[in-house]
Amino acid sequence: MDSELIQQIRNQARDLLESGTVKGVIGYERASDGLTARPAFVYELAAVERLIFDETCTHNLVIYLRDKKAEKMAIVVKPCDSRAINLLLNEKQIKRETLFIIGVTCPGVVETSWNYKGQTLQARCQTCQLSKPLVYDFLVGHEPVEWPKAVPYLNVQEMENKSIAARRDFWLGQFERCIRCYACRQVCPGCYCPECFVEQLDPLWVGIRIAPKENELWQIMRAFHLAGRCIGCDECERVCPVDIPLSLLNQKLEKKVKELFDFQAGLSPEEQPPLATFKKEEKLGFEE
Amino acid sequence: MNSGYSPKIIGFLCNWCSYAGADMAGTSRMSYEPNIRIIRVPCSGRVDPILLLKCFQQGADGVLVSGCHPGDCHYNEGNYHARRKFALLRDFLDYLGIGKERLRVEWCSASEGQRFVDKVSSFTKEMAELGPRSES
Amino acid sequence: MRWLDQLLQERILLAPVRVEGLILFQPVSKVEEVALDFGNTTFSPKEWFLPPTETLFSMQRNDGQPQLVPSMVEKDVVIFGLRSCDAKGIALMDGPFLREPADTLYQERRTRTSLIGLSCRQAQPECFCTSVGSAPNDSSHVDILLTEIEDGYIVQVITDKGKALLPQALVESEEALPPPPELQAVPTKQVTQAVREFFNNPYWGRLADRCLHCNICAYVCPTCYCFDVRDYSNKGSLERVRSWDSCQSAGFTRIAGGYERRATKGARLRQRFSHKLLYFPEEFHDIACVGCGRCVKSCPVNIDIREVMSDLEQLEAKSGS
Repeated sequence: MDSELIQQIRNQARDLLESGTVKGVIGYERASDGLTARPAFVYELAAVERLIFDETCTHNLVIYLRDKKAEKMAIVVKPCDSRAINLLLNEKQIKRETLFIIGVTCPGVVETSWNYKGQTLQARCQTCQLSKPLVYDFLVGHEPVEWPKAVPYLNVQEMENKSIAARRDFWLGQFERCIRCYACRQVCPGCYCPECFVEQLDPLWVGIRIAPKENELWQIMRAFHLAGRCIGCDECERVCPVDIPLSLLNQKLEKKVKELFDFQAGLSPEEQPPLATFKKEEKLGFEE
Repeated sequence: MNSGYSPKIIGFLCNWCSYAGADMAGTSRMSYEPNIRIIRVPCSGRVDPILLLKCFQQGADGVLVSGCHPGDCHYNEGNYHARRKFALLRDFLDYLGIGKERLRVEWCSASEGQRFVDKVSSFTKEMAELGPRSES
Repeated sequence: MRWLDQLLQERILLAPVRVEGLILFQPVSKVEEVALDFGNTTFSPKEWFLPPTETLFSMQRNDGQPQLVPSMVEKDVVIFGLRSCDAKGIALMDGPFLREPADTLYQERRTRTSLIGLSCRQAQPECFCTSVGSAPNDSSHVDILLTEIEDGYIVQVITDKGKALLPQALVESEEALPPPPELQAVPTKQVTQAVREFFNNPYWGRLADRCLHCNICAYVCPTCYCFDVRDYSNKGSLERVRSWDSCQSAGFTRIAGGYERRATKGARLRQRFSHKLLYFPEEFHDIACVGCGRCVKSCPVNIDIREVMSDLEQLEAKSGS
């Protein structure tokens, strides 16, 4: 654990709480397994000592900003999380003045689950292009170290190279396991509709049945609703209790959006998401 | 058609251009394969991807979406948005194992009855050639 | 284990099976598919008594007359390899589902299912069954209990139903049962009282700050049983479908007009613990938690029921009751 980094976070938190600048600090604390991390909400000075930061801090805390719209909150943010902040700023879901962003020059996080800490960096960290958050009020951590980044979308390409029947079998098998717990949706910074399409009763798009056809509609449409918006934190994949490889779905759309529209979500708080705009003269393969 | 297989094709036609074009084909007594079942929508941009997915799930072998030519949309920009949406969706459906050939997007104006017939005909033949979807 | 092959003849055999990284109860067609070295399954066996989705009945028209077609349970079922905590979970669910008027589908499944338990020789870090009235080798709620020993299994026949499953040739054994593993203790004595007393405490809102309000804890839990019912009609026929639901999801208490009784995160999270630790015991005289630890293991933000129970006991102790 980087104790200097942790001290910096705690000092910032203390100052912000003491001065009354923020109502609370959203950060990380040690989980009940004594090994991994979990989100922490610190409202009192005495609790500041609970804040930590290490390679188990995988959670994207930006999702909690949507509940706290009325109050000014401080938040600990990794580079990937900062893309989520840009996304929500761009889509007018949060206001910049209500945030005090403690940015961390994150060296990457490992795969974690209850009582388990992996040894290698998560796939999304290995392909991450950011060394520090894109938006912050105060930066903590050391000078970012450049490490060789892996080539992105290799697993997507591997899937693309399979036969169409193999792909069909693969995805049907994956969607069959879904139990519609909606953890993927709840943990996603981009999923904030007050009424999700899957819960709409009129028109009834999906319904309550937990069965392969309904699961397929759920999975495909959620991925598509995130096309051009997903910032690639892969939290959805981590939280899925039945290990559906959601990043394989989201990254496919991310790759195609980049190819067709030269666009990646969350790089700036003011951008034109590709599905909300158009170019009159573009050729996308439907003309003859 | 080979061995009696007759593909089910669902067509989403925009009211102002493509549906009118299909009407024109009808009134001009042009004949084309009867496999297509037409659903009239106000604009190609109204066609939600979930509608297409449901068509495939309920047994459609191919889906056609036809709208006004880009630049001529009755609602100004609906088909521009449709164009972007379906460019992504077609590639995504292919990735999911539903072949990209099964989603066809065309632009057909109200006066292009013959064009409508040609497009539907070629699509139907292509779907017959491709065969039924493996799980139907 | 050859004996299990025999059971397969006229029954469905459900056993723990490795499916990618998970261990799931699935119907097996041969003994080789069964996983025997595992902690516990990802989902509890409740899914075979209360499936994630089931058709309660359907209605069809014959010559214009509506005809009710009730759902049927096809074959007898044997569930093999369930842990004592999960067996207790099923017994707890019997409370609400079998009291009059009984849930007929649950009842039929329950009657036609035999339970072959597998004692735990090792505890997992999330286990705490001994703190909530169960034990790693508790035979109270199974028909047969197997305990693994060096060269085989000790078989305890608990009920007549279990006896009916066994082939003739089983060797009577004098061998002593090995001791069960030691488990951590979680304070639970005052927990019911504490939930009642601290209903309005800001503790719940604070705890719920990090809760995602997904459905994972309720779905993996052996004793959570909320469901939603909806009718689906199609061209004159109708199907009434029941599916899992969870008190955690926003909108669970939404009624016509848009009012939500449990609109806040804290209220919803409190409900889950209140149901398990207060309302269920008030009616069925037992905490609706069997200490399997699945919620602890699967919660994406580490809401730990053991920690909650400990926190509640501390609140109780501080208040001097």
